[in-house]
Amino acid sequence: MASARDRYKSGVMPYAQMGYWDADYEPKDTDVIAVFRISPQEGVDPIEAAAAVAGESSTATWTVVWTDRLTACDAYRAKAYRVDPVPGAPGQYFSYIAYDLDLFEEGSIANLTASIIGNVFGFKPLKALRLEDMRIPVAYLKTFQGPATGIVVERERLDKFGRPLLGATTKPKLGLSSKNYGRVVYEALKGGLDFVKDDENINSQPFMHWRDRFLYCMEAVNKASAATGEVKGHYLNVTAATMEDMYERAEFAKQLGSCIVMIDLVIGYTAIQSMAKWARRNDMILHLHRAGHGTYTRQKTHGVSFRVIAKWMRMAGVDHIHAGTVVGKLEGDPNVIKGIYSICRDSFTFRNLEYGVFFDQDWAGLRKLMPVASGGIHAGQMHQLLTYLGEDVVLQFGGGTIGHPQGIQAGATANRVALETMIKARNEGQDIWNDGPEILAAAAKWCSPLRAALDTWKDVTFNYQSTDTADFVPTAVTA
Amino acid sequence: MNDPAPDSSGPHDITQSVDVQALSADTRIGDVLDELDRELVGLKPVKARVRDIAALLLIERARKQVGLAAGSPSLHMSFTGNPGTGKTTVAMRMAQILHRLGYLRRGHVVAVTRDDLVGQYIGHTAPKTKEVLKKAMGGVLFIDEAYYLYRPENERDYGQEAIEILLQVMENHRDDLVVILAGYRERMETFFRSNPGLSSRIAHHLDFPDYSPAELESIAARMLESMQYRLSSSGAAALRDYIPLRMRQAHFANARSIRNALDRARLRQANRLFARAGSKLTRDELMTIDDADIRPSRVFTQGEP
Amino acid sequence: MRITQGTFSFLPDLSDLEIRAQIDYALDQGWAIGIEHTDDPHPRNFYWEMWGNPMFDLRDAAGVMGDLGACRQAHPRAYIRLNAFDSTRGFETTRLSFIVQRPLDEPGFQLKRHEMEGRRIQYTIESYAACAPEGRRYPE
Repeated sequence: MASARDRYKSGVMPYAQMGYWDADYEPKDTDVIAVFRISPQEGVDPIEAAAAVAGESSTATWTVVWTDRLTACDAYRAKAYRVDPVPGAPGQYFSYIAYDLDLFEEGSIANLTASIIGNVFGFKPLKALRLEDMRIPVAYLKTFQGPATGIVVERERLDKFGRPLLGATTKPKLGLSSKNYGRVVYEALKGGLDFVKDDENINSQPFMHWRDRFLYCMEAVNKASAATGEVKGHYLNVTAATMEDMYERAEFAKQLGSCIVMIDLVIGYTAIQSMAKWARRNDMILHLHRAGHGTYTRQKTHGVSFRVIAKWMRMAGVDHIHAGTVVGKLEGDPNVIKGIYSICRDSFTFRNLEYGVFFDQDWAGLRKLMPVASGGIHAGQMHQLLTYLGEDVVLQFGGGTIGHPQGIQAGATANRVALETMIKARNEGQDIWNDGPEILAAAAKWCSPLRAALDTWKDVTFNYQSTDTADFVPTAVTA
Repeated sequence: MNDPAPDSSGPHDITQSVDVQALSADTRIGDVLDELDRELVGLKPVKARVRDIAALLLIERARKQVGLAAGSPSLHMSFTGNPGTGKTTVAMRMAQILHRLGYLRRGHVVAVTRDDLVGQYIGHTAPKTKEVLKKAMGGVLFIDEAYYLYRPENERDYGQEAIEILLQVMENHRDDLVVILAGYRERMETFFRSNPGLSSRIAHHLDFPDYSPAELESIAARMLESMQYRLSSSGAAALRDYIPLRMRQAHFANARSIRNALDRARLRQANRLFARAGSKLTRDELMTIDDADIRPSRVFTQGEP
Repeated sequence: MRITQGTFSFLPDLSDLEIRAQIDYALDQGWAIGIEHTDDPHPRNFYWEMWGNPMFDLRDAAGVMGDLGACRQAHPRAYIRLNAFDSTRGFETTRLSFIVQRPLDEPGFQLKRHEMEGRRIQYTIESYAACAPEGRRYPE
């Protein structure tokens, strides 16, 4: 950096010389670190671009200002300290930027995000910019509540262990009356699912008012619970236009005895944190539907990677988050999904570039966030789902339950039998990845709903090229 | 890994053959036997017995494969000998062999003494013994100084209860676990004479002879090498004199006594080097045990270690 | 009816061989096994009676099967389940739980509805079996 007199002469100066680039900087344990994928415009130097990102996401502006000297300005400047070219993608660079802890308000996702992504993404010298990953220091994590319930407590409340949880979204997405809606819920829960859910756009519309939905759904939940002896639930969507409305709906859900409510990502980070606090105070599991994320998470070059969203959401305090299925109808590369699942549910997430995880992340005792796999999956994929996604996950088979030829209960039973069969086989040491179809076929011999499900959907796959893949692939090592 | 059930239906083809070499290679018991050879000095008769037992069990499996049923063989054993003669090590290798041949599902060893099995008051013994047995299932229960279970002179002793439970388990759970009783030879013989039920369930008796002085020297050399020390030639001579003297004294525990002697030698070496004021110590000096580190032992002067 | 609590309730009742396989799996993960029994299978009844303490440091299912046999003998008409406990940091909870014995006839639960204000109903689930005193809840 230039001397003080030169540094603060009026005029425009490259960001790299204003103190936003420091190749020798060693990030402190208390720094927040971000890695951005930068695509500078033609002729823009990558280091200058990285420094500009650092600057524009912390204290800088496009010209030198004397008022900087009223502050301990170097402490507040973000420091880009490393720039690596992206393998196989000329013109793109991974840039590591460190932010001092004092830049951020305690326990506020709104502030964290406003700080990091609030200003810099429209910056002209960059063709494109993507926030790939963040390292949150333990010091900052400790100011957040974290998941209101978490995987361990959720399982203990439901008294369900040793297998993924099963859910479904009521279908059709829109248009059912409350009573008909509740019928779907009852059938699916009675047949064997643990949860049913509202879809993200079911809030309170002319065809179904929210209070009616809640009443009929809870009748269905309780009936199914008595019929099976299990704890059952329906994610009642409390998303609304204002926080006051949301609190009203959540309180009603609590009064009715629901164990779980849901919110959509589009309510915003502030509302999400408020709901997480409410959920913990009221012993409620909080499900988050990631509505709208695809607008900014899907393209590799520009936006925010979903793994960062997942991190923020774990800090904010939701208990469930949709996180990808790999084999279903929505975007999800297996390696990237593994990285996201690790961020959700490990006590310590390890850096692994193949999975797109750039930083070790110590979760400082923050509870674990249950990933939810939803979208175009069916019983015939159970061995793949279990292998890719593990045990601590909610598998949601909406169409796969409600579209079953023998009815909704049969659909639910088919999914539950397929799941329990696969878990049992895995525990016994069978090779479920290769023998999965045979294992399912053997169960289908005594379970006719499963046989019908396999016959109906056995050829359904969604094989499209993934748009969001990891950049680092393992190279062959010579022996 | 379970054996295939014996085939008792229909006529058998007497020309059926089993490739025993392949069976042996498959189960990799050769590796275990080789490791036993390498890691324990001497003990020729013991190693020979272990090989005999391994061969017997291997052939049992081969016979089973062609449908010659023989029932599950009794595998319980007794290991007798002085302390420090390798009984525990051989028990572990035996457990591995039994596991690889399919007689034990897990092949771990749970080593206990009387106090782990016997309680201090009425009703305490049975649950205590059963807890230990549950942990040993699938492997070997190694009971050291087993004769302490039997104290007929004390009528309030609960050891007999433990023995009853052991007898029952040794008979009814032969597929689940193998019991190895260990201790001094004479005392074990007395113990078996007073408990014929126990004695009748023991299929194999292995006696562990004391090491010869030359073997003990060899053990000492191995121990020193693993600790990255060496003996000077005068040190080696001192040790050669030390060993037979020590053997004649009380409480000689073979390899363990050698270990203790070497530890004391290292202590003396440390003091000797530390007391040498001034000059720096070379790597060689730091490694070398000299006769000055061994001769001061009371074994030479007072007949005590 | 058939209560569907536990990991394998939708499958045909597990044979002893299958139970052993699950126990071995749990032991391989380093989990401790506990046996519990109850005659009140209400979904919110988390604390079944323990048959002895959870067993730690076992390597083979045989130890558990012995105790399970004793529990079955002592409570031939009760629900019995096996739990596997994981003490690893970050879990410190049950990792597997499945029913290994049920009464021959499971009467199930009654859903009681208590009308409140508006259209609201307060629900309670009552176990038919638990209406009888302990020891007389399931027929021979």
